[in-house]
Amino acid sequence: MSARATEDLQAGPAPGERREPPAQAPAAAGKGRARLAPGDLLNLIGRNVALFIFLTLVILASLFVNNFAALDNAVVILKQSAIPAIAVIGMTMVLMTGGIDLSLGYVVGLASIVSGIMANTWLWPAPAVLAAILALGLALGLCNGLITQFMRVPAFIATLGTGYVLYGLAQIVSQGSIINRLPKDFLAIGRTPMFGLPSAVFLALGVAVAFHLLISRTIYGRQLKAFGFGARTAALSGVPGARINVSVYAFCATLAALSGLLFTIRVNAAQPNMGGGVFTFEVVTAAIVGGTSLFGGVGSVANSILGVLSIKIIENCINLLGVSYHLYLAVQGAIILVAIIFGNLTNRRA
Amino acid sequence: MTIAPAARRGLALLIPVAAFLVLGSRVPHFLDLSNLLNVVRQSSIIGICAVGMTFVIIIQGIDLSLGGLLAFCPMISGMLMLAGVNLPASMAAGMLAGTAMGLFNGLMVSKLTVPAFITTLVVGQISQGLALIINGGSSIGAFPEGFVFIGNGALGGVPLSDLLLLVFLALGFFIQRFTPLGNHILALGGNETVLRQEGLSAARLQFFVFGFSGFCAAVSGLLLSAQLDTVHPTQGDAYQLDAIAACIIGGVDLAGGRGSVPMAVLGALIIGCLRNVLNLLGIHPFMQNVFIGSAIIVIVYLSGAIRRHSELATRGAL
Repeated sequence: MSARATEDLQAGPAPGERREPPAQAPAAAGKGRARLAPGDLLNLIGRNVALFIFLTLVILASLFVNNFAALDNAVVILKQSAIPAIAVIGMTMVLMTGGIDLSLGYVVGLASIVSGIMANTWLWPAPAVLAAILALGLALGLCNGLITQFMRVPAFIATLGTGYVLYGLAQIVSQGSIINRLPKDFLAIGRTPMFGLPSAVFLALGVAVAFHLLISRTIYGRQLKAFGFGARTAALSGVPGARINVSVYAFCATLAALSGLLFTIRVNAAQPNMGGGVFTFEVVTAAIVGGTSLFGGVGSVANSILGVLSIKIIENCINLLGVSYHLYLAVQGAIILVAIIFGNLTNRRA
Repeated sequence: MTIAPAARRGLALLIPVAAFLVLGSRVPHFLDLSNLLNVVRQSSIIGICAVGMTFVIIIQGIDLSLGGLLAFCPMISGMLMLAGVNLPASMAAGMLAGTAMGLFNGLMVSKLTVPAFITTLVVGQISQGLALIINGGSSIGAFPEGFVFIGNGALGGVPLSDLLLLVFLALGFFIQRFTPLGNHILALGGNETVLRQEGLSAARLQFFVFGFSGFCAAVSGLLLSAQLDTVHPTQGDAYQLDAIAACIIGGVDLAGGRGSVPMAVLGALIIGCLRNVLNLLGIHPFMQNVFIGSAIIVIVYLSGAIRRHSELATRGAL
């Protein structure tokens, strides 16, 4: 690797090393021919964990899992990733503030059954259902945000509580039944084929690009990061902390509701059990694999989506290998642990 | 005006007692001895969990691994029992598994400074996954008589479950009141600097607290399976939040440093009564979840507001 590349990396966002004085970069450049020390390699990987994990998984799976490296299979993985990819964006934003949203999966379930009722029982046109579900998500997210911000209930307990409430509500609303055979115009939101993929994939892509720009290119995004690093310092610099903190929960639940709607469309069934704790956990895993810090301040939409693709590749391999699906749950837990321990070690080195 | 701690505790006790009497006069069969013993029997599951959880919350942690452990530990014991291993050994294996998972939580919290809610969430998920994998996702049952007796038998008319809850209440109370450990745990939650100045290791306390919580979860899971004569791989889900709610209703402070084991067990009994009454009134369990979820948020909010208010009052008095 050239010295220039090293410098570029130093200039880039390096969350693990932000407290270090910048004196290291000129020293490394001064050597003329920079050698790649093991520490450098670890740092390089540490900065691009999500991409590294993703590429490693693709290579390993292509080598060792039959039928993995096929176009059809890639399409399957993309289809399966689209829905959690939308949800992970909101979770990433919440984690960036140092909070967590444990109600995410239950918003999915409630959005699913409510969208089914609107589309099938009330015969609402598709755009109206979409708008209503987004509004529902926004309202639920505002509740979470207001409870954590103004009632000062810790995020994990507030969202655990609201999650419990939402799960109960979804079951009550559904009266224990599943709604099948949804209207065609409603299904078209996520199922219209475009370039060989369902529209849900492009919807996810659009949402991802929009939020990537929001976080990396706007003042709001910078304020969000500042707030995550330290609420007090941010407040002294004029960041509207309360507004940021409420907004991330609002975004999170809105995106969760959208993913609930798309989930319903994909399986053509509206059911209150959709999502749940398992989905929440999958999304948190993806965000952490994507390098999002649990302590706030660090996170990126692109990396979190790489995180989703990574764990969906693992799920896909578990399926292709014919191993019990239940293994996926335990493996996700193990992945989070490895990610946390690895992140901890690389941060300590810095 | 600040309320004296003793008076506050008295007030806190007054509410459940009053509610109890009102319910007793209003809801038919609630005060029948058989119903009350049954309430305690049902509360024993979350009560035993709440004993361990109390210590965890006191040190500003939370244990979200209960849901998984409540299924994983009895699943191990159950499989061993069905494989013909004798009862004490199989049960010990389950308890060992729970304690090990708890100690692992302690390791993550103390050595890697991972937030408790994350590591316990992860360990819960892994346990849940393992509980499902061990028997391919189906439940097991038809255990030896001795095991079923633990869950359903009685000693002099008192169900064994109730006695077991009493044992854990006594154990927790003893640790908290009569051992230095109890004081150290309170110190760790209230003011870690003091603990450091006394030369005590925070890590060792964290190990103990999370390990003990895992042990309580294992015992509670075994008891649940003994009561039902079944291990269902997702049987723990319903109890996770109830155990936290029990502590919170019992006045264990999520901000750490404050909480008592008997009050947390009382909280478990209150939840047990609440669920029982709502059942007797024919209110759907899902509606009960809505109540309990909201109650947790409101109580955490109120206790935080009261604490901030009294802190302000103290500062104003100085």
